[in-house]
Amino acid sequence: MSTAAHAIAWLFLGFLAATHLIQLAVHFAALRPLKRKVTLRALQDLPPAYKGFELPVSLVVPALDQEATIVDTVRALLQLDYPEFEIVVINDGSTDGTLAALQDTFDLEPFPEVYWRRLATRQVRAIYRSRMHPRVRVIDKDNGGRGDALNAGINASRYPLFCAVDAQALLHRDSLRRAAEPFVEDPFTLASGAAIRLANGCSIADNRVVGVELPRGMLGLLQVSEYLRTYPFARLGWAEMRGALVMSGAMAIFRKDAVVEAGGFKLETLGAATELMMRLHRLLSGRGEHYTVHFVPDAVSWSIAPETFAALQRQHIRRHWGLAASLHANSQLLGSRGAAGMIAYAHLAVFECYGPLVEIAGYAFVLAMYGFGLVSGGFLAAYLAASFALGFMVSASALLLEEYSFRLYPRADQLARLILGAVVENLGYRQLVAFWRCVGLARWIQSRIAASPEQLRGIPGSDRPRL
Amino acid sequence: MLLFAELIATGALAAALLLIGTIMAVRALRRWRHARLRRVEEQWRGALQQAAEDPHAARLEPIVALDLPYFLALWNHSQEVQSGEGVNRLGTFLGLHGLDARALHLMGRRSARLRIIGINAAGHLREASAWARLEKISQQRDPVTSFAAALALIRIDSRRALDLLAASIPERADWPLARLASLFESLGPAVVTAPIVAMLLRRPRPGLDRVGKLARFGYRERIATIVLGWLGSSTDPEVITVALDYVDHRSDLPWAHGAAGHAEWRVRLAAARALGRVGGREELARLLELLRDPVWWVRYHSAQALTRLEGLEPFELENLRENARDAFAADMLGQALAERRWT
Repeated sequence: MSTAAHAIAWLFLGFLAATHLIQLAVHFAALRPLKRKVTLRALQDLPPAYKGFELPVSLVVPALDQEATIVDTVRALLQLDYPEFEIVVINDGSTDGTLAALQDTFDLEPFPEVYWRRLATRQVRAIYRSRMHPRVRVIDKDNGGRGDALNAGINASRYPLFCAVDAQALLHRDSLRRAAEPFVEDPFTLASGAAIRLANGCSIADNRVVGVELPRGMLGLLQVSEYLRTYPFARLGWAEMRGALVMSGAMAIFRKDAVVEAGGFKLETLGAATELMMRLHRLLSGRGEHYTVHFVPDAVSWSIAPETFAALQRQHIRRHWGLAASLHANSQLLGSRGAAGMIAYAHLAVFECYGPLVEIAGYAFVLAMYGFGLVSGGFLAAYLAASFALGFMVSASALLLEEYSFRLYPRADQLARLILGAVVENLGYRQLVAFWRCVGLARWIQSRIAASPEQLRGIPGSDRPRL
Repeated sequence: MLLFAELIATGALAAALLLIGTIMAVRALRRWRHARLRRVEEQWRGALQQAAEDPHAARLEPIVALDLPYFLALWNHSQEVQSGEGVNRLGTFLGLHGLDARALHLMGRRSARLRIIGINAAGHLREASAWARLEKISQQRDPVTSFAAALALIRIDSRRALDLLAASIPERADWPLARLASLFESLGPAVVTAPIVAMLLRRPRPGLDRVGKLARFGYRERIATIVLGWLGSSTDPEVITVALDYVDHRSDLPWAHGAAGHAEWRVRLAAARALGRVGGREELARLLELLRDPVWWVRYHSAQALTRLEGLEPFELENLRENARDAFAADMLGQALAERRWT
């Protein structure tokens, strides 16, 4: 009995080790593009990029009940350093004064614009154009959720590229220029994603981060550590391996024609951009078309992270629900041509989507076996120590990559706090997040069981559309 | 089993501590290097400033191998901001201290950063003896070093370099078009027209669209004589689209008339733009037909072209909109008129 228990525990530990070693390998893959970035800094004395060749971009900004912040958001976007862009704000049936705030501040007037309904959306009530800033337009429509709002924005957009921007995202003035660079440099670019960084603790002025600082509280610090471990370098590594499936909705630029052909955004929860990305991979790799997806780690979109456990829990549950729904809706991608279908999809399904379930089951199993006296206290301690050390190793590799490339936190006290975050994150926080992700997975499975056959044919949405 | 778990824990912890140790070592090394560079950089800046006026009077302490890339990066930067005689004086200054040969030596180093610094220095030095080596590097696969070498060649002898690179530019999709365009613009039409013509005459496929975009920096009339000739001889939509952008005279309008019925919508769009650019009210019927095109962009550009037609008054367009039987056409014309009023 004890041998069987040990064998099962060995499998759990093997899975945990494999998960972390793969993360380490992906970080290693990110080294090459990072080295290229560092090398390119030596080219600073080359002639500057010719502005006229940067492709014009439509910034598509969905807004639901954002009366308090939407004006500052649009003002900040107007100051982006980019030669040609337009801002399309979609008022997704707000019940507060979002539209009125925009009307008052930007002097909007109804414009007789031909709304090109390339993607099906809820009813568009009116299109407004700003008298003060000709590049600002507002689409007023019935509530349909974030994906529906983005689709309406795509329909109204003028330019061949569109950038989905979260209304709460804080962008650097050069974020758009950096994120759009791959479209100038690589004609096969399909999409380009920006890096998400957490703005908690940073100095913010005019909706822009002006001083980078770590969050004061431990919860914020743990989230910074988690983001560093799982986001910028992991995304860069997967993009380098041509397996970029996860895309942040906070800021991502897409080729509009491809998105329209794929049917636009379909998911009405966190993860809509990831679901779209998977569908685009399916569409283009199915046709044998050559395309590339870039991740630009120095194009930064700052977000405010949840500051309470309850909000953080909701975010993780919704995000994981979105991941499960995206993977399920695009199961045909598995095994399709290219790294996205052959490797990235399988990795995402096995290690990211169902991995937390295995991790939590592993802890529960070893603890239960210890309770039944089938494994020793020494073994339990070694198992938990291995879990901690593996996570700490991946966090440390992310810190090293950060040190090598961007060095956003240059002070010694900041480094000390980051190391503290990397240690504490793996002493319970990571495990708690894994548990929340299991809850997200369970809720998604529950929604599949409860859904009608009609709903199952499409991609399930949440009960109430939210942005 | 216990041993296995302990091994994983110990190994991972050791790796994590090693990584943390590396971070600290990298930080310490960087801090030491920055402090050191701060001390010598002031002296270098002063010397380079003086050298731009009188290279023989400027004093420079011997530069150790570790500092050489930083000094040369600063020298390259000084070259960028200098013009006229200052450029030559800085080159002389480098030679007086025996640093020119050391700079060229960097081109053969393994590190891409060092290679690029060496390549840039060779370009700024206008070092003709480095031509063969730079030519070889410009043909390498790595986009960054090959492009830096191409720029260095252009700095040494722009006409000869562009003749040489005319074969590569259309094919090298990995060379940033924006930077090439910036370069073509700075060289001016007198220098770039001939290589553009050479590239256009080869009608490179793929790559014609890149050449078509760079062509705007050449003499328009000279380019037009080449590309308008394609209109009678080619059926390739990409070729016709590039050529229609050069329809500037009414005598060439028959080409746009023919293209207005083309099966490819991008060609119809280019035709609508050409009609709007040079056409008069006799093009009205043709543009009204294009205004009913199934493709939104063709309708949009046709409506824009209508608002630009010579001799057509705004009230006539309003009448056309009100009487249009096609609702899509009427809406689009309404939008174009509103946009016209706004601008």
